Amino acid sequence: MRPVPFVLRLTAIAGLRRYVVGGLLWAPVSVLPLAGGLALQRLFDLIGAHRGVALTEPLWLCAALVGVEVVRGLVMVVAWVYGTYWWDAAATLLRANVLRSLLTARGAAARRLPHSSGEAMARLRDDVGDLVQLTDDIVPLAGATLFSCAALVIMAAIDPLITLVLVVPMIVLGVLTRTLRGLIQRLHRRARTLGAAVTASIGDIFAGVLAIKTAGAEEAVLERLRARNRARRDAAVADRLATDTLDTALGATVEVSVGLVLLLAAPAMRRGEFTVGDLALFTSYAGWLTALPRTIGSMLSRLPQAAVAIERLGRLLAPHEDARDLARAGEVWFGREPPETTSLPAHQDPLRVLAVRGLSVRHLPVHRDGAATSADTSTATRADTSGDTSPATIADTAADAGAAVGDGLADGGGDGDGFLGRGVHEIDLRVERGSFTVITGAVGSGKTTLVRALLGLVPADAGTITWNGRRVEDPGTFLVPGRAAYAAQVPRLLSESLEENLLLGLPADGDRIAAALWLAALDQDVSGMPDGLRTVVGPRGVRLSGGQVQRATAARALVRSPDLLVVDDLSSALDAETERALWDRVAAAARDGDGPGTLLVVSHRRAALERADQVVVLDRGRVAGRGTLAGLLASCPEMRRLWHGELLAEAGEQARTHSGSASAPPVAG
Amino acid sequence: MNSSERRAILRAFQPGRRAGIALVAATGAATVLPLPAPQLTRRFVDEAIGGSVTGHLTLVALGYLALAVAGQAARMLTAWLASRLAWDGTNRLREDLAGHALGLDMAFHGSRTPGEMIERVDGDVVAVADFVVAFVMDVVVGFLLLAGVLAVVLATDVRLGGVLLLYCVLAGLVIARAQRLAVPSAIRAREAGAVVAGALEERLAAVEDLRANGAGEHAVTRFHQVSAALYRAEARADVTRSGLLAGTSVVFAAGTALVLGLAVWSRQSGALTVGTAVLLFQYTQMVRAPLERLIDQLKQYQAALAGVTRVAGLLAERRTLPDPADPRPLPAAGPLGVRLDGVGFAYPDDGERVLSGVTLALAPGETLGLVGRTGSGKTTIARMLLRLYDPAEGRVEVGGLDLREADPASLRRRVCVVTQDVQLFAASVRDNLTLFRALADDRRLRAVLAGVGLAEWLAGLPDGLDTELGAQSAGMSAGEAQLLAFARAFLTDPGLVVLDEASSRLDPATERRVEHVTGRLLAGRTAVLIAHRLSSLSRVDKIAVVDGGEIVEYGRREELAADPRSRFSALLTAAGVRR
Repeated sequence: MRPVPFVLRLTAIAGLRRYVVGGLLWAPVSVLPLAGGLALQRLFDLIGAHRGVALTEPLWLCAALVGVEVVRGLVMVVAWVYGTYWWDAAATLLRANVLRSLLTARGAAARRLPHSSGEAMARLRDDVGDLVQLTDDIVPLAGATLFSCAALVIMAAIDPLITLVLVVPMIVLGVLTRTLRGLIQRLHRRARTLGAAVTASIGDIFAGVLAIKTAGAEEAVLERLRARNRARRDAAVADRLATDTLDTALGATVEVSVGLVLLLAAPAMRRGEFTVGDLALFTSYAGWLTALPRTIGSMLSRLPQAAVAIERLGRLLAPHEDARDLARAGEVWFGREPPETTSLPAHQDPLRVLAVRGLSVRHLPVHRDGAATSADTSTATRADTSGDTSPATIADTAADAGAAVGDGLADGGGDGDGFLGRGVHEIDLRVERGSFTVITGAVGSGKTTLVRALLGLVPADAGTITWNGRRVEDPGTFLVPGRAAYAAQVPRLLSESLEENLLLGLPADGDRIAAALWLAALDQDVSGMPDGLRTVVGPRGVRLSGGQVQRATAARALVRSPDLLVVDDLSSALDAETERALWDRVAAAARDGDGPGTLLVVSHRRAALERADQVVVLDRGRVAGRGTLAGLLASCPEMRRLWHGELLAEAGEQARTHSGSASAPPVAG
Repeated sequence: MNSSERRAILRAFQPGRRAGIALVAATGAATVLPLPAPQLTRRFVDEAIGGSVTGHLTLVALGYLALAVAGQAARMLTAWLASRLAWDGTNRLREDLAGHALGLDMAFHGSRTPGEMIERVDGDVVAVADFVVAFVMDVVVGFLLLAGVLAVVLATDVRLGGVLLLYCVLAGLVIARAQRLAVPSAIRAREAGAVVAGALEERLAAVEDLRANGAGEHAVTRFHQVSAALYRAEARADVTRSGLLAGTSVVFAAGTALVLGLAVWSRQSGALTVGTAVLLFQYTQMVRAPLERLIDQLKQYQAALAGVTRVAGLLAERRTLPDPADPRPLPAAGPLGVRLDGVGFAYPDDGERVLSGVTLALAPGETLGLVGRTGSGKTTIARMLLRLYDPAEGRVEVGGLDLREADPASLRRRVCVVTQDVQLFAASVRDNLTLFRALADDRRLRAVLAGVGLAEWLAGLPDGLDTELGAQSAGMSAGEAQLLAFARAFLTDPGLVVLDEASSRLDPATERRVEHVTGRLLAGRTAVLIAHRLSSLSRVDKIAVVDGGEIVEYGRREELAADPRSRFSALLTAAGVRR
């Protein structure tokens, strides 16, 4: 959307009435100087008149000058504070719209977000600020226009010719401004990009502070920051200079106008047709008239920035959304608490069977720009009828079909997923109620990509997902609590209390939290914390150990009592005792019907594999085998390879234990 | 706020000699050129009323025009110079601040989000930079212009000039005092802004966790709540701010009325021409424009003052780990011995006890496995060895040196860590490997990557070592990132290696590959391994079982494994190791 229609739409984001009232409050602030100018005119005419005029009237006029300013000041305080409400409401709603789209809109969010959170932050901070500022500028623009119209009428009544002369240079200026716009847009875009690079660089430094400090790489990262700083300075100074050129042209135009008034008024003044009072009025109004070109100038120079901002914020939205969704009006919650909307939505269709057919994810090249990605998401979950095959031959067929599709995509896309090994091809998967399914495979075989695609967190390029035989159009919004919950491989906690992190808005219920903590084997940890559930976990849960963060993530999923619990390599940071406890408890709860009965787990560990009803082995993005552990060990070479690795590791452990115990008393059991 | 921090901030904005002279010259021109304009107006009015020839009046008007244009040009030059100065200063300040913050301890960083640090290192600094431009343009030029006007008015009419001077001094004092009153509320508003930034940043980073757990709407609700707090802080700040602006305007209008009233009175007694009255009015108008701009900049000025205060606050943060008075380097080559003697530790901010009475010893080349529940203190012990924390009691020795006396640079060279959270940078593979240092040539980097089993991965990258990686692990699986972290470790020649759950995200097949390479890394080096998978501790010499911040069991690995009553043995059993 173009900046002007967008900004007009933005006026209504917190309710049009609020914006209009705020604007009307400002009107006296802009218009009152008209009265001041008239008082001055009368005052100077009295000064210029013959001597002997009584002092009373001039002194009353002086008092009026102060009185006008007092009224203006009082109105301004009220209008300003009212305007702050609008400003903050508009910025909050814009940000909330982007955030809501990223967190709840159909389609995967993964490809909309820029690589660094600093870059995303820069957009939500600066771009939103630019847009709100531009919208806010309409109020002073209207005020200045109101003042200018009235002033021009008053001035034209005194001397139409001089008034006309005052207008002409401003029209010239308008033309000049338009020609400068393209340059300013280019310079600004460049400065903004380089500014975001600096911000991203700083974000990087502090996100990776541990790695940098322990490697002693402080000086090297600072040198990188310096290089980016220099590039940004040059761009920012050029940007500033271009904007200043515009401002200077504006200021000079008005000053020149005053000079022209003098030039043209000379004969009339000599004849006494143009009084000193008129001159005072013209000079006074000329100063206030600068507000109009100044406001127009700053708005015109902001328009290109706004176009950039709209485009950059728009890239964070889902493909089916546009700038209208960005500027969608909403409720403001500054004076009262927003209602808690999260609850476990009751769904009528409890899981019997979840089936995935032909699911493929082709990863884009690592370095990509946002524009290229949004187009791709539209192909997500495209129906793919690769035909029915009996379970025994699925693996082979899928592998063949995957190879063909993969090649085709690789040619079309420039880079397939071969080099990353993270894509998945033609995956078929069937998860029955009450089953324990383990997805396993080597590093980079696509385990995480598979579950993320299943949950709609990354867009699939092909494949269908069905829930009890019914087609799931958008897994990202369908496979959520109470149908499914997810514990990620790299979990993120928020800087909030542990309770808030677990519930995330679910209606609080002590028993339910306690049950989830117990299931996730986090109960003892929490009871050992001084503030228990109210303990504020540090940024990203820094003050919790890796294992505690992962179990907290598990508890977060468990407290949602999902039909299907999806766990991505949760056990990797857990020690043996804790992990065993966790699986035992989850399994026991499932038997008793107190916990999620259906589990889909990414793991390569023995404890999980031995428990599994079904193991799916992935190899470079394709299904290399599926079945029970025993069956796969007989039929699947990749499973044997992986299992052998695990056994070797544990056998080594055992051998050492035995050699160590040679001189010790025999071990019971 | 400490004045030495304030000085450090000002120093950052000190221009070079030539830039300084150019700026002073431009500022002078921008101040002086507008000054004679009202003199020309006075002549114009008095001569027009006096019946001078039109040609002469035209000449005066043309002179006014020339002055106006030249004044604008000088203003623009000043803006350009000031903006260069501001950006140089900003960059220097941002670099100093990043460097300073980077030098602070993990105790500092542990309690702050990257988003908050962005706001403090970048946001505050930009507010300061904006102010420097505004300061030169609107404050310095404005005040110089004011001084020039006072001088001219004093020369024109001593009594009127005196009244104007007195008035300006009084008004200046009132405004300055009022501005100080507004600073605390501006600081609170900025802090609330940092909270909003931190909350947003965390939620952006956790997009997938929130989506998949159906917490999207709730995250938006929470965002509304922190934004409401920001609004309340800003509303309070804006009441002060706008009241200040309105008050200043009234005070100024009173000044104009005062001067004009006196002019009327003087005119009555015939001591003043009409032209002089116009001159006085124009000068007060001339002061009004820069003064209004100055107060327009108040928002930035106060944000900058708040920014300066916060920047100084960050600069005033001190390392809790003092630099050694007499730094001694660790042995430059060979494995390093380790000794922990009665080490206790509590987090400084809340005093929460994390370690007590930890005593361990490793001869050079020995390896130690740390075993214990999560949260038992293993990671803290490992961080002690890297001197990310100093012990509250007892001592930590590496290579025979108390770490508090060791040269920090040699410590970073000789002690290396691979952690469970691999931190990737939005930079090339090369930079992610070397952490931006010139450690090795591309051939060696390739060899090291091949050594950890990433040769195939590297070969598939579109731009090889120059391929950009994402900060949020885009382009790498967690396991691959872990392998990259191993590669980082291989690039230096550490004498002590700390592996903190380093292999936790590797599948068995890959882990065996890594173990082979780890074996090479550990050969001839001292090492401390934290691993939840007991199988990855198969090669260590000693085991310490940690529980509740204490060593509850410590001994040679074989002996502990053989003793059925040992905790370690119980753990082996729990891990499924059957005997």
